[in-house]
Amino acid sequence: MIRRVVFVTFFIFIAAHAFAQAPKPVEIRKSLVRITATSQEPDYKVPWNPGAMSVGVGAGFVIDGDRIMTNAHVVSNARFIVVEKEDDPQHYPATVQFVGHDCDLAVLRVLDKGFFQNTRPLSTGGIPAIESPVSVYGYPIGGERLSVTRGIISRIDFQTYTHSGIDSHLAVQIDAAINPGNSGGPVMQDGKVVGVAFQGYSGDVAQNVGYMIPTPVIRRFLKDISNGRYDGYVDLSLTYFKLVNPAERRGLGLPDNEQGVMVSSVSSAGCSFGILQQGDVLLTIDNLPIASDGFVQLDGERVEMPEIVERKFKGDKVKFDILRNKTKQTVEMQLSGNWPYLIQANRYDTPPRFVLFGGLVFQPLSKNFMDAYQVDDMRLRYFYNFFVTDEIFKSHPEVIVLSNILPDPVNAYLSDLRFQIVDDINDKKIRTLEDMAAAFAQKSDYYVIHFVGSVRPAVLERSAVERARDRIIGNYNVQREQYVEGGLK
Amino acid sequence: MRAFRAILIAIWVLQTAAGAAEPTPKEAPAPEEQKGSVVRVNSTNQAFDFSRPWSKAAPFSRRGLGVLIDGNNILVTAELVANSDYIELERADGGEKTTATVQVIDYEANLATLRSTNPKFLDGMQPLETTTDVKTGDELSVLQLESNGTPVSTKALVTTVEVGKYALEDSGYLMFRMSCPLQFRENSFTLPIVKGNKLAAFLMRYDSRSQTIDAIASPVIQHFLVESQHDPYRGFPRAGLGFSPTRDPQLRRYLKLRDADGGVYVNQVDQNGPAAKAGVKEGDVLVAIDDKQVDPDGNYLHPIYGKLSITHLTTTEVYSGQSVVMTVVRNGERQQLHVELFRRPIEDYAVEPYTIGKHPHYYILGGLVFQELTRQYLREWGANWLKDAPQRLVYYDRFQSDLLPAKRKIVFLSQILPTEDTVGYEQLSNLVVSKLNGRDILSLDDFAAAAKNPVAGFHKIEFEEDPHEIYLDAKQVEEGSDQLQKTY
Repeated sequence: MIRRVVFVTFFIFIAAHAFAQAPKPVEIRKSLVRITATSQEPDYKVPWNPGAMSVGVGAGFVIDGDRIMTNAHVVSNARFIVVEKEDDPQHYPATVQFVGHDCDLAVLRVLDKGFFQNTRPLSTGGIPAIESPVSVYGYPIGGERLSVTRGIISRIDFQTYTHSGIDSHLAVQIDAAINPGNSGGPVMQDGKVVGVAFQGYSGDVAQNVGYMIPTPVIRRFLKDISNGRYDGYVDLSLTYFKLVNPAERRGLGLPDNEQGVMVSSVSSAGCSFGILQQGDVLLTIDNLPIASDGFVQLDGERVEMPEIVERKFKGDKVKFDILRNKTKQTVEMQLSGNWPYLIQANRYDTPPRFVLFGGLVFQPLSKNFMDAYQVDDMRLRYFYNFFVTDEIFKSHPEVIVLSNILPDPVNAYLSDLRFQIVDDINDKKIRTLEDMAAAFAQKSDYYVIHFVGSVRPAVLERSAVERARDRIIGNYNVQREQYVEGGLK
Repeated sequence: MRAFRAILIAIWVLQTAAGAAEPTPKEAPAPEEQKGSVVRVNSTNQAFDFSRPWSKAAPFSRRGLGVLIDGNNILVTAELVANSDYIELERADGGEKTTATVQVIDYEANLATLRSTNPKFLDGMQPLETTTDVKTGDELSVLQLESNGTPVSTKALVTTVEVGKYALEDSGYLMFRMSCPLQFRENSFTLPIVKGNKLAAFLMRYDSRSQTIDAIASPVIQHFLVESQHDPYRGFPRAGLGFSPTRDPQLRRYLKLRDADGGVYVNQVDQNGPAAKAGVKEGDVLVAIDDKQVDPDGNYLHPIYGKLSITHLTTTEVYSGQSVVMTVVRNGERQQLHVELFRRPIEDYAVEPYTIGKHPHYYILGGLVFQELTRQYLREWGANWLKDAPQRLVYYDRFQSDLLPAKRKIVFLSQILPTEDTVGYEQLSNLVVSKLNGRDILSLDDFAAAAKNPVAGFHKIEFEEDPHEIYLDAKQVEEGSDQLQKTY
């Protein structure tokens, strides 16, 4: 299935003429904010380039503490942000105070405090009932000014948040039209915010399917940042298998009571490592029984087990009753994030990391990298797809790829090594981009680069590299030769 | 899962050259002496269905021309008769028919010999000799038959002589590339190409847009025919090494190579292959094979064909059991190694690169279908199988020599035939098995043996990946096996 999701904020529609009559004032006018962000998308193919500029429009709303809430994707990679409110001609510059790319939410500050005069902060409600009506406010395409659409709650379910592309959280589907420019706008019911409009399907895939971020996710974000830092979601970093098969249940020594799921794998980079192991049966989580299909009963609702962890924060604890080798045990663990997953997440607000040496461009493997290069190389695709499951991160915390070659006499015979993964340089293992930069900084007559799965090295003579340096920088307009800060781990 | 007929490669069918219909002056009636050497070969083939290993795919037929080589033996391409159920010979002059059987078939070299079941059938026909004297710029003739049996010959200009890819991904042998405006006729597989009155090549692929022919070259045909006399047929040998060029002056200085030495960098040596057995090591620089100097790109100078890949020297110029002397430079010193060449049997690969003409191995345990991984299975995902097939299996196939010890096979759960025993397992597929009932699984034979010994009334199946372990009730599996066969 191809899932095409648009949450495009990149349309600016210029009205041909002003309306003769202003619309009737509504309460929401005091809370709604129009956000115009000028952003620069990093260029992973030419990593020293500043990237192409684009301007996008989205919505936001005032919350307590003189803050504006919107979607992370409205202000990602932003260089300059301007906010406007209804009934005020002035444009106010704003900055991002906190951004959660894993939950697609952000909080903005406005430098001029006068902005918040006569505004009314909105408060959040609960999860609205299925079939109940909601109103969506924002600045979607089709005009310049405030727009309202109405709809009902269609479905409440876990969804992939396309902004990061890897995180799944609770999301609420509504049938009100959500269009480019609605992003970040409040979804209201009974005068309270019940969600933030954030993504939908393109019209040629599905009709009237829009999604909003529900209040549990919003509240969690606000609570997470209340200590002045966004830590992000925590994760058990394990996979589990539903225990529906009777033989499997008996094989594991379980009674026929439809309870328990089996731990399939435990990531060595996560908080369950050393506490849970493959084959353990999880019976309860924080004293709530886990059904054999992985659901638990929480506040009168059946939710999937990870939802318990979703609501927790870094450093919080979670307790399991388990069955290990047919013996009951209780284990507890302190929750943390799981960094290896981030290799498959979209990254924002950070320049592409790279090292350039002798016209060879080395970059760490990442989602943005794969999107930019569309690599066919089988080994590289394996390292990317199985980085987490096969724990490739243990030997290669970063997978450093010879991603590009700027043709020059110094590298004239190396073109067939493109997209190979660096194993060592001068017999020193390369585990991170920092290792790479350090290896090239070390003085040596030869730089002998070995690649994974191949004995043939790339050999660069220092004298030749030094002679080529200015030539390459000049010919290819290289603005800088490396950027190594900000690794995943 | 998208199931496709297992075919060797995608582009071997001659396409109708629409628009090329106007008569071409290069076409002419074939000379008298060749008429009596070709025979129509109609083959009905049926490939095994690797996604349902107990069944065969729908039959299809292929037609081509065979060449009489001696007595009762007809030479054709292997593609024509791959997975054949029924082969029919038809005389060009009279139209009489008889059946034939495959004598020797080599899928790697894409050649096969057939024998007529009626010894008298080919009486009066003239065997065709082969010639290796073909140079770039020569004009050869491609033979075809009109539907009424009249032979037609089309001129083809030899543009390139090189080692190129044959029908299978891994096999490369000498190939004649020709430029030729060929019209589509009913015989689409195996067309003989002659020089004068001698067989020079066999058409293997024709691209109607660029009007180019890739043809099996006569040295390959001769090698096959000579080897066919040997019982058992041992195939084309391989040195079992991979190499890369040493043109880069920085690399040459680092390796302390003299410019006069040429040579290629040995990048990979097959475990237990001829090169490995002779002591060739990864990192050696191969500078000569016998008295032939190897240039930095891996070519040598052939007396007739000019620059050719050294692959030709170790696959086609020598026969299995013969030796070559490889001169390598290791740590700046020259060494001479005697490499006895042989072909690595297909069964020796962890993942068989091709499986043609034989049943895929499989084992069904309580509705769970287990198979040994073959590339033929991955090809069921179609032309784009490298990207579309399950990636872990593709990865095992692609890097088997790095990843897998010799003799290890990959046993995997290919699919589920839903029964009561498999409730909750429906979503599982293409999972590599590590253990069954506590026993390491290195082959399907291991699996079958371990399936005889359930532990405490259960079959415990362990996978290399999620969910890592599942259970089947041994008694239920036994009771259910008849029912399973009836339902599916």
